[in-house]
Amino acid sequence: MVDVATPATVSQSVSRVVVDLQSISYTYEGEGQPVLNDISFQVDDGEFVLILGPSGCGKSTLLQLFNGTIPHTLKGALAGEASICGHALTTTKVATFATDVGMVFQDPDAQIICTRVRDEVCFGLENLCRPAAEIMEQQVEALRLVGLDGFGDRSVFDLSGGQKQRVSIAAVLAVRPRLLVLDEPTANLDPAGMADVFVLLHALHKAGTTIVMVEHRVDELADRVSRVIMMDRGRMTFDGPPREAFSQPRAARSEEGDVVPVSAWFPQAAEFALALGTACGVPIQAKDMPLNVAEAVTLGERFIGVAAVMPSVPAASMSSPETTPLLRVQHLSFGYDRVEPILDDVNFDLGRGRLVAICGRNGSGKTTLARLVMGINDAPRKTIFLNGKDLSALGPKEISAEVGYVFQNPDHQFVTDRVWDEVAYGLTVRGYADDAIRMRVDEVLGIVDLARYAERSPFSLSLGERRRLSVATMLVLEPRLLILDEPTIGQDHERAQLLMGLMVRLRERYNTTVLMITHDVRLVAEWADRVLVLSRGRLLFDGTPENMFADEALLAAGGLLTPPVFDISRRIAAALPAGPVRPTLSVPALVDAIVKSRKVAA
Amino acid sequence: MRRSAVFQFRSGASFFHRLDPLSKFAWLVGISLLAFGAYIAWVQIVITGIVLFTALVLARLSPVEIWRGTWLFVIACTSFLVIQTLTLPGTHVAFRIAGHPIYAESFDYALASALRIYTIILSSLVFVRTTDPRELAIALVTQMKVPYRIAYAFFIALRIIPTIEDEIKTIGAAQAVRGVARQGGIAGRIREMKRYSMPLLVGSLRKASMMVMSMEARAFGAFPKRTFVEPPRMTASGVVVRTVTIAAVVAWYAALATGLVHTMYVLAPA
Repeated sequence: MVDVATPATVSQSVSRVVVDLQSISYTYEGEGQPVLNDISFQVDDGEFVLILGPSGCGKSTLLQLFNGTIPHTLKGALAGEASICGHALTTTKVATFATDVGMVFQDPDAQIICTRVRDEVCFGLENLCRPAAEIMEQQVEALRLVGLDGFGDRSVFDLSGGQKQRVSIAAVLAVRPRLLVLDEPTANLDPAGMADVFVLLHALHKAGTTIVMVEHRVDELADRVSRVIMMDRGRMTFDGPPREAFSQPRAARSEEGDVVPVSAWFPQAAEFALALGTACGVPIQAKDMPLNVAEAVTLGERFIGVAAVMPSVPAASMSSPETTPLLRVQHLSFGYDRVEPILDDVNFDLGRGRLVAICGRNGSGKTTLARLVMGINDAPRKTIFLNGKDLSALGPKEISAEVGYVFQNPDHQFVTDRVWDEVAYGLTVRGYADDAIRMRVDEVLGIVDLARYAERSPFSLSLGERRRLSVATMLVLEPRLLILDEPTIGQDHERAQLLMGLMVRLRERYNTTVLMITHDVRLVAEWADRVLVLSRGRLLFDGTPENMFADEALLAAGGLLTPPVFDISRRIAAALPAGPVRPTLSVPALVDAIVKSRKVAA
Repeated sequence: MRRSAVFQFRSGASFFHRLDPLSKFAWLVGISLLAFGAYIAWVQIVITGIVLFTALVLARLSPVEIWRGTWLFVIACTSFLVIQTLTLPGTHVAFRIAGHPIYAESFDYALASALRIYTIILSSLVFVRTTDPRELAIALVTQMKVPYRIAYAFFIALRIIPTIEDEIKTIGAAQAVRGVARQGGIAGRIREMKRYSMPLLVGSLRKASMMVMSMEARAFGAFPKRTFVEPPRMTASGVVVRTVTIAAVVAWYAALATGLVHTMYVLAPA
């Protein structure tokens, strides 16, 4: 142990107020409009604050104030007074906040500096010139806290997404910060990884850590936070306890300025209660608003009528036998080396006009499977058949005429400087006539609501618009199969819902099959008519979402969780076997069943 | 799940993994100097043998890893060997192929040139695969007294290479899906780079700024010095490696300078 510099003098403020923002407004350098507008609030010691709002509303910008990144690293016009852990924001350097504030960002790969777990956890303490013996002690403690005992010597490249994010949290916890700030820390994680992170944050909060967090996935968080702040276009629109936050329908403006309902940010337990209250004409008081499954079950049982009702039986699948499936995968095994196959004997068929989800843990082989179907990776011979033809014998142009692929990051796919040209590109390289190109491009730009931006650069659009443009570039080719890679990552639920609505229109219009790789169980429950679950390269399940969510062993193996509405309906059905409720994935269906029982009773 | 980058550190417990970074760096520089200084095939064969032994035994790289890291260069070096052997003039005909004379001097020179390139690539692979860039940066600070901000800039540059490599692959795949064909020739490659540049720039800037924020948020650069937990130290094995390498380089160049070794092919026949 050498090279120990003079230990830094660390003085944590003793005031109970951890964050104190007074009339904060901020405009990015070179921008005209402020991204934060007259924000004022305080956070006290021991609070767990959840910040919600549509993409582009200023949530992440707000977090960057908490350790002085704004205004010291990101320049711009900052107005108002701010104090974090007793330090005045404008006169305190970012490094000084390092002992008080721990920042965890969305993408663990972008924030992890070192290649070995222990080195990453030690990094901050080394910078603070703490003695080596103390550093080693604290890194062991931090890794224990996040459940990664014994991981010190592991390479970060060998960890799953959830483990990497836990390393990121350990790296900031090692410094023992007073305030933990997290910006969508579970965005890239599978449901099991997300649950691990939320359990950890809950434990840290109970142990006294103050937490401020931006997150879109609220179902597992709503009953764990002490306070909710909602934002809309740089302003605070709500600040209060979670039951009150979710006690009434709310709306906000999207990045593009459209008014959108924000029920999808709500925990599904609260969404169910609001719908039930409205349908029964009985307003639910804020104090009765359920935040988890158990509370929603209690509320639901209270509303059920006494008379017996025949539960509605789900409609049978409308699938019709097809002689030649659109896609046939048979005995597909694939790997970069023989000892570690990424896909192992995968078999399934896909018909036309379906909306199919592929689920599984990070690293289970989902993206590899999709890349093989798209021809990005070379498929082994006679393992994938597209319209009855062996995919390995088809060229990129033949495959892309039938299959479209929308990448996670839309920027990767843009090849021109103009929105109109971008949509026209695929048709141009396939030799379409100018008139036909003009007609189809104009039609598709209308469908995705981007006609008004036809002359702009693709890179100048908002994230949601870029995502729609990326879909439009595929849509214009009228693919029979469209693959969506993680449609909800980096987007709020409303935007994801809009995208899925677009997919349904595409299916209706062109009979396209949509294959989406996703971790979002609510999206699967709401939109998919079939699910494939992969685990360690093997296809564990191929069936309906209802059957998947009913199989607990499968959910554990696939790192999946059930959507709350399924748990609520299942528990009510179990408690009242002769009652009107059967397990369902739909909030309206559950509400409808309860309402019918009340009408019969009346 | 993706194939890991070939030129990327992988942790391990081999003799070379345990060696301190600067001793490995000295070995890499020594091998390069010897390879550049040796224009005779048998000497190059010996150097290549030493590097292969190091890769397989001392660094415990598998033949598959070595092949994945060097196959492109094996093809290039083999082409180089064939072309030079067929085209360079000589005086002693070793054998004939379809009546065409193959000269001993040409083959000797071509083999030495091809092996030189391969040796340097293989030794670089051994170094990169067994050396944690962070340990190299720390060794530069603790043993060479390089300021830690500069050493870490070097480390981050090495650390980000696999990320950029991944990003380029993703952009290539994403654009291929659009029907953009890979283009050959210099003009084609320039057009391809132009198309890649904007998404790559946007993505890399975003990742780099995230990394900077992550470092600053953890007090990087706050003090003129920092603590290094468990800095790499030069062990007895490191002393032996450095001594043998320096001795070999000095001996070889001294022998060349004094004419003790055959230098007939130092200047290639015109």
